[in-house]
Amino acid sequence: MVKNKKDFYAGLMFMAIGGGFALGALKFPMGTAVRMGPAYFPTILGSITLILGLITAIRGFTTTGEDPAPFQWKPMLWIHGSVILFGLLVDPLHVGFCGAVIAMTIACAYGGYEFSWKEALIESLILLAICYTAFVYFLGLPFRVFPWS
Amino acid sequence: MNPLDKSGEFMKKIVLGIFAILALGFAAFAFADGIATAGAAPAESAIFKNLLLGFTVALGWQNLWYCFVGCFLGTLIGVLPGIGPVATIAMLLPVTFNLPPTPALIMLAGIYYGASYGGSTTAILVNLPGESSSVVTCIDGYQMGRKGRAGPALAIAAMGSFFAGTVGTILIALFGPPLAELAFEFGAAEYFSMMVLGLVAAVVMASGSLVKAIAMILTGLLLGIVGTDVNSGIARYDFGISELSDGIGFVSVAMGMFGFAEIVNNLEAKEADRSGASFSEVKSLMPTAEDFKLSIGPIIRGTSLGTIFGILPGTHTVIAAFSSYTLEKKLARFPKRFGHGAIEGVAGPESANNAAAQTCFIPLLTLGIPTGAVMALMIGAMTIQGIAPGPQVMTQKPDLFWGMIASMWIGNGMLVLLNLPLISIWVMFLKIPYRILFPGVCLMCCIGAYSLNNSAVDVYFAAGFGIFGYFASKWGCEPAPLLLGFVLGPLMEENLRRAMLISRGDPMVFLTRPISCGQLIVAALLLLMIVLPQIRKKREEVLTESDGT
Repeated sequence: MVKNKKDFYAGLMFMAIGGGFALGALKFPMGTAVRMGPAYFPTILGSITLILGLITAIRGFTTTGEDPAPFQWKPMLWIHGSVILFGLLVDPLHVGFCGAVIAMTIACAYGGYEFSWKEALIESLILLAICYTAFVYFLGLPFRVFPWS
Repeated sequence: MNPLDKSGEFMKKIVLGIFAILALGFAAFAFADGIATAGAAPAESAIFKNLLLGFTVALGWQNLWYCFVGCFLGTLIGVLPGIGPVATIAMLLPVTFNLPPTPALIMLAGIYYGASYGGSTTAILVNLPGESSSVVTCIDGYQMGRKGRAGPALAIAAMGSFFAGTVGTILIALFGPPLAELAFEFGAAEYFSMMVLGLVAAVVMASGSLVKAIAMILTGLLLGIVGTDVNSGIARYDFGISELSDGIGFVSVAMGMFGFAEIVNNLEAKEADRSGASFSEVKSLMPTAEDFKLSIGPIIRGTSLGTIFGILPGTHTVIAAFSSYTLEKKLARFPKRFGHGAIEGVAGPESANNAAAQTCFIPLLTLGIPTGAVMALMIGAMTIQGIAPGPQVMTQKPDLFWGMIASMWIGNGMLVLLNLPLISIWVMFLKIPYRILFPGVCLMCCIGAYSLNNSAVDVYFAAGFGIFGYFASKWGCEPAPLLLGFVLGPLMEENLRRAMLISRGDPMVFLTRPISCGQLIVAALLLLMIVLPQIRKKREEVLTESDGT
């Protein structure tokens, strides 16, 4: 059985990455050693990564190691979700800078500990004021501030 | 502290060698400079002239201002928990796009050495390192604070850092030009081998599994070549996303892996929250005469160690600080005082980490090769500003090169002022709870990523790399080697192609050219070294110790 979960999963991850790049390179011309095609470098690197991944995964069976700390899904999903939310609100949804900043900070704060609506709301407004002054007003970054502007 | 004692034996032996090299180096340069001046116009050496140019540039109001902003932000980051220089530089890169290259790079450099400087404040006051480079300072710095001597500890740390920064700056000015001369001789084969050496060295110094670190580098190299292939014009691995034809933005990678992933890790541990920590009061800053007497030696030795570790590829400031601590403990007349507030244990490591933070700019500025994650970001910043990193920077843009060097020295002076009289401001920042802090950091990252290309794609990629980085760190894979590989990927492929084209497909070209062969031999030796059981054990000891303190 798997005795070293860290190594086992890391190995699988590298096998997927290396294998993926090596397989993806099949579409491109390989070229020769003198005139390397676009597939040459990724094929070599991908194959080595695949082999190293395999070694690491096998070591998951042969060595013992402590289990990785359990995944904390709540902060992980909320924080990365809030980042994606910001992207969605600003670009395809055109909600504008103000709405995106407030929604993003509250969602992000929710992923932390000791969350309170009041605190998050106040914080988001303060951050909005700071970011508007710094990025939009002074640096002139081209953000649409409100949906109608 | 047993491993400390063991590695101390080893350190003592190599330290003598290091001093000999340093002394020889200084003598050689003084000699060479003397000859050059004697032959040409007397009394005005090239270095002096260059430094003069540098100071004229650095003392311009705009550069001075951005140097100050960089140092200020750097100190702030050093003090604030859970956000490192890599994430900050990535976050602020878009802001520097509108600036000319010189102030932009001056500011980014300021953030970096400012952070390595400011991290000591929290180490001394609350026993928590603001930056990984100040873990060693916690040991004795905090104990001094507990005894009511936080002020002298901060003062000695600042003075040691300033001394180290000065020496580091002088060394860059001395070693820069001859190294760049050497780099002009480099062909594609030499560049390729040098990158191999740099990456191998980075692996040797990474903590944790060797195989995983190499696999992370390879992953980085692979991610780095996503996008349009320069030679054939074929878009590789773009999945039909038009933004990807220019490659994955390195800002997204750095933000995701060093920003978001780190934040999730911190939230999990709740370690970063210092609101409940007990503070040491700062009463008087003035160290006693006895403190000075005890500190001079450690500062000088720490600086020497730090400069060496800074230049070596792949090493980081933690190792420099740790070696200095070990050395001081070994040399001390009463080693038992260490761990109970010995001032040498603050002076040495602080000087070492700041010296290393300065001299790691040498390979970057002269060879265009990054030695760590922060330097990889600096390369990215230079490329965005339209400067191809490498030896030609010095000849084609002397104002940028020497201006940056001069500004580093000025910045180090500013840091003393920022850190000592303004200490109470930083203490105030220290008290902000992490749960208030992190949404702001995430927001800045989002705005930064978006404004790279005014497109949300970079924001999504940053989130993606954050998730990847979180999983990778859970499974014991460090992000730094990946970022290094990511920046070097396209360069390596290009130089490999060129070298093979010139040699007509003969891979022996890497071994028949002497400089290239030498670099590959060193790389092989390094790898061989850590495979040897004895040294492997030592490496693990040292690295886990420096991680865990």
